[in-house]
Amino acid sequence: MKLQRRYDQVSCRLQVEGLPDVSVGQSSQAIGIITGWQLQLAGRPELEGRREHLIAMAEAVLPYARHLISGISRPFGSPEAPVAIAPFDEPHESGDGRRRTGHQLTLRSSQPDTPPLTLRIDDAELADLVRCLDRLRFDPLLQVALQLPVPQPLRAKDLQARLPLHRRLAAPVGGALALGVLAGLSWLLPTPAPQRSGQEPLSPPPGKLAPSR
Amino acid sequence: MAQAPAAAPVDPSAPEAERSQRPPTRLNRRGLERLDLLLLSVESLDLNGGEAMVWMTEQLGFSSLFPDRVALWKTRCHNPLRRVTRRGTLSEQETDALIRILCTLADRLYPMLHQLLSSSEPEALNDQRWSLFQGRLAELVQERMNPRRSSVQRLVDPALERGVLRQLIQCLALGAGDGGFDRLKASLMDAN
Repeated sequence: MKLQRRYDQVSCRLQVEGLPDVSVGQSSQAIGIITGWQLQLAGRPELEGRREHLIAMAEAVLPYARHLISGISRPFGSPEAPVAIAPFDEPHESGDGRRRTGHQLTLRSSQPDTPPLTLRIDDAELADLVRCLDRLRFDPLLQVALQLPVPQPLRAKDLQARLPLHRRLAAPVGGALALGVLAGLSWLLPTPAPQRSGQEPLSPPPGKLAPSR
Repeated sequence: MAQAPAAAPVDPSAPEAERSQRPPTRLNRRGLERLDLLLLSVESLDLNGGEAMVWMTEQLGFSSLFPDRVALWKTRCHNPLRRVTRRGTLSEQETDALIRILCTLADRLYPMLHQLLSSSEPEALNDQRWSLFQGRLAELVQERMNPRRSSVQRLVDPALERGVLRQLIQCLALGAGDGGFDRLKASLMDAN
């Protein structure tokens, strides 16, 4: 008999269907084999897919959220992947100078000649989707190895995008300018006059004693 | 909820290259500053946030680490931006406990966080909510942080960009609940 698990949030509902894997001794209440899933985002078309699509969604959305929490907005999911997510930022339709920002979820069907479906979600909807995926990961009755990467601290190189270019360049450009100014000033210092050959040396040559008084 | 496991001891015989590749286990200075600021944001969202924090400490079984509110306050005072700051570093157990308290409090406040982040909420009402949050956060920062630090001055500036506040709320929303713990901890341990 098919089993269902449902994860609800304010604007998002994720439903997973499957069967217990009795060959590994799972209980009759647990899902060990995912046969399908549906995702409903409020006011958007319903999405559905197979196990690999669900894993692809978790592999794109969860690292995206991990980077977002560190203030880094960058796309996740390759152009060939079934699911990709990227930030978007565009002028508001009203044309009053405001910006519309959010996250663009792209879902590519495995059916031939089917154009990819693009959904634009706001920060609240993304948080709901992430919570649904988290609940799925930690559900004791969903005994499927999803093998998702564990969140890791970002390296300094990954965090470079957090600072705008002018602020990142300020220190090296300032240093180079200071060095240039100091080098220029050093040219203004008078060079010591060359010693003339006929002039009496200030100190007696070695081996010659000064006359005693 | 089970208490976070103790930190794994560092094997001094491990090769240097292997040790340098391991993720850090303790929060750095920036991580501590961010963690305390996020806890302060929770207090700004919930007028009873300070009490909720103490209650949550007991509920999550961290009473041995923070037996009373003073112990909790002392731990938070390791933030170098505080008016009264304490020297030294926090153990992994203490930081994990603080992060878990933060995630659970954020989970409790999630409906409020959702409202603030949602674009479908009435704009005027949401502007009012953001102003209220900004005002309370500025008050708490003024009360507890060292006003001579430039990053503190920036936080209490009424012209503070909405993006900075939004980043705090987004961080709490994505770090709420059990699933948020690993994400938030990894983020607080970012290289700076």
